Amino acid sequence: MKTAMNGTMDDRVTSVRPPARKRTRVWDPLVRLFHWSLVSCFAANALFVDGENDLHLVFGYTIIGLVGFRLLWGFVGGQYARFKSFPPSAQDALEQGADMVSGRVHIHVGHTPLGALMIYNLLLTLSVIGLSGYLMTTDMFWGVEWPEEVHKIAVDWAEVSVVLHIAAVIFESYRTKVNLPRAMVTGYKDLPE
Amino acid sequence: MRPPIPTKSSAALIALVAVQAFCIVFFLSDVFADFQEAGGKPTSHLLIEAMAALTLIIAILFELRYMLTLIRRKERLEQSLDQASRAVFDVIESHFDDWRLSPAERDVAGFLVKGMSIAEIAQLRGNAEGTIKAHLNAIYRKSGTTNRGEMLSLLIDTLIGARPSA
Repeated sequence: MKTAMNGTMDDRVTSVRPPARKRTRVWDPLVRLFHWSLVSCFAANALFVDGENDLHLVFGYTIIGLVGFRLLWGFVGGQYARFKSFPPSAQDALEQGADMVSGRVHIHVGHTPLGALMIYNLLLTLSVIGLSGYLMTTDMFWGVEWPEEVHKIAVDWAEVSVVLHIAAVIFESYRTKVNLPRAMVTGYKDLPE
Repeated sequence: MRPPIPTKSSAALIALVAVQAFCIVFFLSDVFADFQEAGGKPTSHLLIEAMAALTLIIAILFELRYMLTLIRRKERLEQSLDQASRAVFDVIESHFDDWRLSPAERDVAGFLVKGMSIAEIAQLRGNAEGTIKAHLNAIYRKSGTTNRGEMLSLLIDTLIGARPSA
């Protein structure tokens, strides 16, 4: 109201300037490289390259390698990359759910509790996809149906999870005013002071 | 300060929703595949399967809504608890005002209400026990009581409405 009475443009610009933000380094380069490599390989195999194609196996083995790397990096990687910094916690997840419902904003520097659950879900699902996909190529399971069944079901589940993951990231970015997709590119989150 | 949501039941709830969500994905993709296999003609078998998937979705929605209701109710309870404890605090403070306690006496009286012993209060405030006893005498004299029990029952009487608030 005060700015409207003073009436100058400068005042108005000052009054809408967002609150001070602190650039915080969150994702190390390998976490980011892992994330986007995984996105590319998964998208390629799920959407474009079908199972008959040799490329499907190349991407598949790459994903297995990436998941293996991430599991290792969860123990020796950067601070926010370690599993220790985002232990699976149902209580914290529900707490975050309550925040989402009630409009309270609680900033998490690293992974949010619900985000952490999604990561464990995706790592597990991708492992199942990789393992069942590998079994389909072995002589031992030639003509055996269940690895293919498992592979397909797990892929369906992974696709639904990815859609949910993207939706949640967009929603949380909008709700907390912290641009999460950009943080996964630059490695920095602009957190409120 | 906030009482936590019980860990066990919340973990069970999340696991339940996750398993059901997984089943939905499975059933829906199965129904879809069978539908294509049947040449786009819905058989009664398919319809029942689709119905099962659909009702499962509805069940999950109800579950989530119930969970959100619980979370909201918990929040409201916390709020009223917060207001109630503030009201209790107000009643105590207004009595202290009424008795015209000095700042040091207020402090000691506050610890007294919290149930601390003379030795503990002395340690917390960095005073000798004799000093605390002197404060206590002043507090009892000003409030017209003779001991801690009487002073507390004055406060409690007001809280339960037996006496008009000071």
